[in-house]
Amino acid sequence: MDIELELFGVLRGLEPGDRLRLPVSGATVADLRAALATHAVARWSRISPQLLGSCAFATPTNVLRDGEALPADGRMVVLPPVSGG
Amino acid sequence: MDHHFVQVADRAIEVLDPAAALEFVSDPGFGGITMFVGRVRDLNQGREVAGISYDLYRPLALARFTEIAEQTQRECGPRLKLYIAHALGRLAIGDLAVVIAAGTPHRDEAFRACRLAIEAVKHTVPVWKQEHYTDGDSEWSEGRSLRDADGSKQG
Repeated sequence: MDIELELFGVLRGLEPGDRLRLPVSGATVADLRAALATHAVARWSRISPQLLGSCAFATPTNVLRDGEALPADGRMVVLPPVSGG
Repeated sequence: MDHHFVQVADRAIEVLDPAAALEFVSDPGFGGITMFVGRVRDLNQGREVAGISYDLYRPLALARFTEIAEQTQRECGPRLKLYIAHALGRLAIGDLAVVIAAGTPHRDEAFRACRLAIEAVKHTVPVWKQEHYTDGDSEWSEGRSLRDADGSKQG
């Protein structure tokens, strides 16, 4: 399935409109993580694998763990490490 | 839920309001009120800061603020009013970045609630800080990973 990703924080500016449509072969967050890692190696030279590995994936209401299913609507956000306050 | 107030304040149209926070957490039965106000400072790790831009994922941030308020209430007791507000956008030195206020019958719960809430806001809410330096450079703060954090949920 295709996943529409919205990018925040340090990931802003990497894609037009801070959005990325990514084909994912699989149905879990782990599959999305692998697809994004492949995309990043090819397109995001300033983002290290370590930083990408520390990112979380979320819906508007929940941060999802790697073993969880991708949402049916295919819309998710990528959350780099947070630094509020 | 009238015991909690949560807000994301877009700096382009509004500013955080500590007076409103104090008013919200006030109650005739509350003798203890505490407030934490986070402001933009002019120096960080030896670099002169000109300002900060806060990025934020609003739907999840507001959901987390509410969860934090509910968790704080479970830990500090039902007689608690809590106010959580965070800024979004470009802030100058001295601008308010975050306001947390807690009202309870006694001071101990008020201090504890305020501390619990600000720590949770800093570590579990999808907010990102980009520092702008006086030399023209900018840098995103490193922050804390939400991957497998306590704030994530199963299902």
